[in-house]
Amino acid sequence: MRCKQAVQMMSERLDGRLDGAEIALLDEHVAACDACQAEWRKLQSLDALFAAAPVMPAPLRVRVQVMTRLARRDQARRALVGGTALGLGTVALALLALAPLLLGLLGATGVLPALISGGPETIVQILAFLETASHALLVLAEKFIVPLAFTGLCSLTVAFTLNGLWLGAMRRLRAVH
Amino acid sequence: MSDETEWIQLARKGDQVAFGRLVVAYQTPVYNLAYRMLGNSVEAEDAAQESFLRAYTRLHTYDPERPFRSWMLSIASHYCIDRLRRRRINWLSLEDEFARPIRLASDNPEPEAAVAQREREGYIQQLLAVLSPTDRAAITLLYWYDYSYEEIAETLNLTVSAIKSRLFRARRALAKTVQGEPEYAM
Repeated sequence: MRCKQAVQMMSERLDGRLDGAEIALLDEHVAACDACQAEWRKLQSLDALFAAAPVMPAPLRVRVQVMTRLARRDQARRALVGGTALGLGTVALALLALAPLLLGLLGATGVLPALISGGPETIVQILAFLETASHALLVLAEKFIVPLAFTGLCSLTVAFTLNGLWLGAMRRLRAVH
Repeated sequence: MSDETEWIQLARKGDQVAFGRLVVAYQTPVYNLAYRMLGNSVEAEDAAQESFLRAYTRLHTYDPERPFRSWMLSIASHYCIDRLRRRRINWLSLEDEFARPIRLASDNPEPEAAVAQREREGYIQQLLAVLSPTDRAAITLLYWYDYSYEEIAETLNLTVSAIKSRLFRARRALAKTVQGEPEYAM
């Protein structure tokens, strides 16, 4: 047996992975080789050092810290989902509130009837509409400034109320955790 | 059904109380692994927390046929390996950590046995620090968890022959490190 092979077998012997015949072969070599004897003693010494080392106990706060971080992460996730839902809801509400105005606008400019009747000329009409839309919007904004302001105010009130309710619910959740 | 199986099932459904019980059951094995791999208690504590958080988010991938302990230690060891790889090895701080002079201040005397234990602990961590992250994980799982080569291979996603050669290589590196140093009599 060569020293290189003997040294490889030493590691396995320490882990109880050699059979009787292999152990006898290794012992025979080690007994006759000073360098391998020194190596074997060193490996045995290291093995004993590591085997006797204690398991380090975890500080008791680990559980509390993990649970706190989990709760915070859940809160952040809920806040994100809730915030997104709230934002989308607000936009939907605003669109609903503005829908009659938009429909009225489209009807007044003749675009809506054209869209309903269909046909290739619709595209031409839409392009014509887009060309004059800015002018029409300015004129209509003057006419509908009061209902527009009222609708915007209502949307804002609804949004603030929902935000307030959401923050209250979040605070209660945090108190529970 | 064992308590642990029940906790795992509940935790998978989002029950944080049940997961808290799993944390209590496994905090010491996970912390010890992190401590042996990272070499200091502050980082070990943070790594243990992070490992549990990762485990919680990956609970749906846990195979109930596999021991939960192995799965948990696998997450922790991979996290520590990644962390060690990311960390630029700061030998200076390692020396600070382990070569800290042992205080024998007269106002707070330590029993001799405690001093010897502390010194031995520092020496062990100093030895582990010379190993590559994966070799360190293999040695830790072998000595502190009595894992077989097969279990270490499963935990570290390696083959048994890779573990065999890694352990051999690690022991050779450790033996070279202690060359000329006084042996710690057990």
